[in-house]
Amino acid sequence: MEHTKYLVVGSSHAALEAVTAIRMHDAKGSLTLLTRDPHLPYSPTVLPYVVSGRSSPDGIFLRDEKFFADNRVQLKRGTALKALHVERNAAELADGSEIAYEKILLATGASPAIPPIPGIDTVSYHVLRTLDDATKLNAAIKQSKQAVVLGAGLVGMHAAENLVKVGAGVTVVEMAKQLTDGYFDATAAALIEKAFTDNGATILTGSRVVKLAPSSKGVTLTLENGTTLEADLLLVATGVRPNMAYLNGSGQLVLHDKGILVSDSMQTSVANVWAAGDCAQAKGFFTDSKVMNAILPDATEQGRIAGMAMAGDPGLKTYPGGVPLNTYHFFGRHAISVGSSKVPEGAEVVTRFDEASGRYLKAIFKDGCLLGIYGVNEFFDAGVMCQLILRRIDLSAVKQRFLAEPMKVGREIMSKTWR
Amino acid sequence: MAMFGGAYNTIAFDAAKCDGCGDCMTACATAKTGTVDQSRSRIQIVGSEHDGFELALCRQCGDPKCVTVCPAAALTKNGDSGVIEWNASKCVDCLLCTVGCAYAGIALDAGSGHVAKCDTCDGAPACVPACPHQALTYITTSRIYNEVGDWEDLFAPGLAGCQGCNTELLMRHTLRRVGPETVLATPPGCVPGMGSVGFNGTTGTKVPVFHPLLTNTAAMLAGIKRQYRRVGREVNALAIAGDGGASDVGFQSLSGAAERNEQILFMVVDNEGYMNTGMQRSSCTPYGAWTSTTPIGKGSGGMPSQGKTQDAKNLPLIMVNHRCEYVATASTAYMQDLYDKLDKAIQASKRGFAYLHVYSPCTTGWRFPTDQNMEVARKAVETNFVMLWEYNPKDGLEFTRPVDDPLPVTEYLKAMGRFRHLSPDQISHIQGKVVENLAFVKQMAHRQSA
Amino acid sequence: MTTAILETPSQTQPAKQKVMLCEGNEAAALGVALARPDMVAVYPITPQSSLVEHVAKLIADGRMDADIVDAEGEHSVLSVLQGGALAGARTYTATCGPGLAFMFEPYFRTSGMRLPIVMSIVTRDGITPQSVWGGHQDAMTVREVGWVQVYCETVQEVLDTTIMAFKIAEHHDVMLPVNVCLDGNYLSYGTSRVELPDQAEVDAFMGVKDVNWHVALDPLRPMAVDPLTGGSGGKGPSTFVRYRKGQCRGMQNSLRVIEEVHEEWAQRFGRRFAPLVEEYRLDGADYAIMTLGSMTGAAKDAIDEARDAGKKVGLIKIKTFSPFPVEALLKSLNKVQALGVVDRSVGFRWNCGPMYQETMGVLYRLGRHVPSMSFIGGLAGADITVGHFHRVIEATEKLLSSPAPIEPVWLNEKD
Repeated sequence: MEHTKYLVVGSSHAALEAVTAIRMHDAKGSLTLLTRDPHLPYSPTVLPYVVSGRSSPDGIFLRDEKFFADNRVQLKRGTALKALHVERNAAELADGSEIAYEKILLATGASPAIPPIPGIDTVSYHVLRTLDDATKLNAAIKQSKQAVVLGAGLVGMHAAENLVKVGAGVTVVEMAKQLTDGYFDATAAALIEKAFTDNGATILTGSRVVKLAPSSKGVTLTLENGTTLEADLLLVATGVRPNMAYLNGSGQLVLHDKGILVSDSMQTSVANVWAAGDCAQAKGFFTDSKVMNAILPDATEQGRIAGMAMAGDPGLKTYPGGVPLNTYHFFGRHAISVGSSKVPEGAEVVTRFDEASGRYLKAIFKDGCLLGIYGVNEFFDAGVMCQLILRRIDLSAVKQRFLAEPMKVGREIMSKTWR
Repeated sequence: MAMFGGAYNTIAFDAAKCDGCGDCMTACATAKTGTVDQSRSRIQIVGSEHDGFELALCRQCGDPKCVTVCPAAALTKNGDSGVIEWNASKCVDCLLCTVGCAYAGIALDAGSGHVAKCDTCDGAPACVPACPHQALTYITTSRIYNEVGDWEDLFAPGLAGCQGCNTELLMRHTLRRVGPETVLATPPGCVPGMGSVGFNGTTGTKVPVFHPLLTNTAAMLAGIKRQYRRVGREVNALAIAGDGGASDVGFQSLSGAAERNEQILFMVVDNEGYMNTGMQRSSCTPYGAWTSTTPIGKGSGGMPSQGKTQDAKNLPLIMVNHRCEYVATASTAYMQDLYDKLDKAIQASKRGFAYLHVYSPCTTGWRFPTDQNMEVARKAVETNFVMLWEYNPKDGLEFTRPVDDPLPVTEYLKAMGRFRHLSPDQISHIQGKVVENLAFVKQMAHRQSA
Repeated sequence: MTTAILETPSQTQPAKQKVMLCEGNEAAALGVALARPDMVAVYPITPQSSLVEHVAKLIADGRMDADIVDAEGEHSVLSVLQGGALAGARTYTATCGPGLAFMFEPYFRTSGMRLPIVMSIVTRDGITPQSVWGGHQDAMTVREVGWVQVYCETVQEVLDTTIMAFKIAEHHDVMLPVNVCLDGNYLSYGTSRVELPDQAEVDAFMGVKDVNWHVALDPLRPMAVDPLTGGSGGKGPSTFVRYRKGQCRGMQNSLRVIEEVHEEWAQRFGRRFAPLVEEYRLDGADYAIMTLGSMTGAAKDAIDEARDAGKKVGLIKIKTFSPFPVEALLKSLNKVQALGVVDRSVGFRWNCGPMYQETMGVLYRLGRHVPSMSFIGGLAGADITVGHFHRVIEATEKLLSSPAPIEPVWLNEKD
């Protein structure tokens, strides 16, 4: 049986950061990277741009073969993890082979969650999580005249924008009352919605598809209110769920809830097993309970911590808790959200909105400290804002200036505080 | 992506010199956008006259978060230049890089609609010459690493120094620089205490090394060097000695060797006392300092015991008066300065006596937290308690890091437990001595500013 | 001080030798020059000063090719030489009295590092009382420090022994520093006829220089010289003991080597000096007096006169004082029934002369009682005359019939 000191499963941001962190501390220990994807590592986040054609499919790879060779990493592509045998520290692969590990990182990410809509298994539809999904969708949108996107999260909205830009008629169907729910508040969502409708898209929020059926054009969707939509292209983008089907058998000893439960050093309930990224459920910054925070910056942070912990790097600093962070670029505009969207008791919410320019700013404070900040067309340094939140810096004295010029004041504080 | 890069040129900012004029931003905007719109500059001066000015600028991090969070492989660290390069054709304008960077080093340029960051103008940054006050310099802050990073560390791993001690750093860098063709003398003190000469038949170095007596380091080295010169071999004679041995009981042989202009590089690691033996007073211990032989107590006859009652002997100035080939002071907080001086001292030691006096704070004996060593060393310089200068007979004495606007000496004193007991009178005595010493060295200095 | 060549050596001498007139200090300097050291370090002190002046002049005149270090004190003098020796240099210096005292710290260490440094002690009494005159107090005070110490009787012996000292010190079985002791005033300034060996012959005698084969500070073979040893664990005690035992072994080996080197010297140069212990008219003697250094000349005259007067007295002279030549001395002491020992210094602890004190230990090993007594004379430059030695002989003779006095006899007490 093949043996490796470190087995990293997955090939996106969390896995790659873990590899870097392990090699920082342990230059020699054998390291294997296992991924079900046949391609070199890439980011799911870039896929909407592959769909749009902006990113060339061969220009998105985050590492090349040379990187793995230089860092003495054995790269096994196109082979999924089938089962984890924690009692004997072995990973069973889809091809039936096994790899014995000393330490394993589960950075297996997530897959599209397919809603149980009656008839969904009778129609053809697209999802967007892998590069192959993206190249298929890229080909499809060029032919599309009438597309429907299920789900108004960032993946759905990106695809919708791409479809609008190639001239298709686009309808976005979203169950929630607003689009980009969970990322942006109602005001921001309204601004985003307006940008879409101004460009000819139809946004149906608060709508549920109750039936899907094949049609001559492609698919017929029946909504809760009885209306039907015809689509030659259907994209299902109603969210993702962690990949952890391999936690069968003794792998079930790895405690999991919505995702794989991890400690502040990304360790699971089982010795020698770590998890990071979209498949992990870790402490939130604003809550003691464990949350899913499936965002790219958090994946890199968790991957780094897991790698350091696995290699025994004494420089390890434990996970401070996930802070929601999102950026969204749409029709030449941008929306940024940093921090909590919930407003706890005793917190203060300040908003500023200039309808003429479409600039919108919202900030949530508690006890003088920033909890969250959101902007549309109002650029500020999200990384700086995140530090203000993580460091719980008291902004009472500069609050008015901060609200007027968050970028400038944030930079001033940065330059004096953690330069 | 280079995982472990070298050290590179960077744009350094001296806040004390910045008046916020914004010329750098105009220069950057002009160079990068063809406009004079300062908001489009990739270097951003923030702050105010009142609070002082600061900088938001890409630090070209060694472990760049912007790169790790970029989903499109549009940002890469150039292993040759150290610059984090932005690839416009790969960028998808997602702004995630601005989430990754905690320093506002990459931000949205509203004019172009894309992110923009400093690329150091291919090694000739437009902002630097535009600054009318020399607040910006384009320097290699860690040239040392590039130059000597691959050189052999000639000390054994795991020397037994106290936690947070800078002397190990000093020893390793020095010997690495001087090289293997060296005979090293480490007289009794912290340096052999760390194991430089080893214990019971082991050795701590890869070069020939010995314990001289506390008293005869310079003399023994002189004999070694002379014999190699006699037989035509180029061998460096290097001492890494403590201040006590050099300024007190070893002073005679030091002075004698300097007078004879023996071809020696004599480095004194000044931790201001006999720290290895339990933190006793030496003639380099400063006024007011607690040591185990100048303890704090109520005293007798109404005269409390309040630390050392005399000022420190200024050994480097005494060495200047030997007209050595080279004399310099250095600090472990200013390694580049130290390295520059080390280079000169090595060269000078081929002609005659070279003396390097390096201030190295003692975490244990000076009583400060072990993570504060660099800060204490830096504060010593920033308050002019320690002055960094160099001397050679041809050019005279020159400040190498003049501190024109020193902090009050209390900023230094308060960083350590050994000065905790000081009375206001004692503090004013020390501040007075700082001023007096500065004036004295200035008088000797070729260049008067400091 | 000029040297005058008096005559060409006689044909009977085995090697070409110049004959000249010089003082002991100059003879030492000439011996040093012939031994070709790489490095000498000097610091002046009475009555050694003219020795280092001679050395400096020999170098200045190009008659000696050595690096001369005018150090700032005796402490550094010996320290410089330690460094030189560790780098492979043959090294030499000279000192005395307070200079030796000041040198003590590196002096102790030289033998521990097994450095074959040769140092003349132009012996001088100890201060205080203040004095700048001869006496053995300086060398005697450091007799327990692991240096080989030999005492010369004549100016010629100074010259010859100085050369031999390098060979003894550098012998691989010895590897110890050597003091060549010459009496301040009496030998240092005493002018005498000497035969100057031929340089080529001395070169052949000395052989190949090899001073730091065992311990070196050399980047070509890096080692830690003198790492910390001892303590109570981790092979500390055994490491220290191994070093110390090695020193003691080297000291004992030196007794054999000193004899071998003196024998070779006699073969090459035709001058034979007793290497360890000299017997003078001891055969058939009932009792003996014992001497050290330059006083022996006057003592021998007194012995001759006493023998002429029918007294059965002989003389034992010690040349090698450290290590103390126990076996050789036992052989001589076996021949006598009483012993008087004349010291030129004081042993404060036993209220007698130091050589007497050492000899008492040897007398114990005889296995029979030999009455003995201590004489102290020649302190601070005082002369020990033939008359003084007659007093010594008379007092010693009385030991054959009367109990030995406990108190030493102070020869110059009334001078």
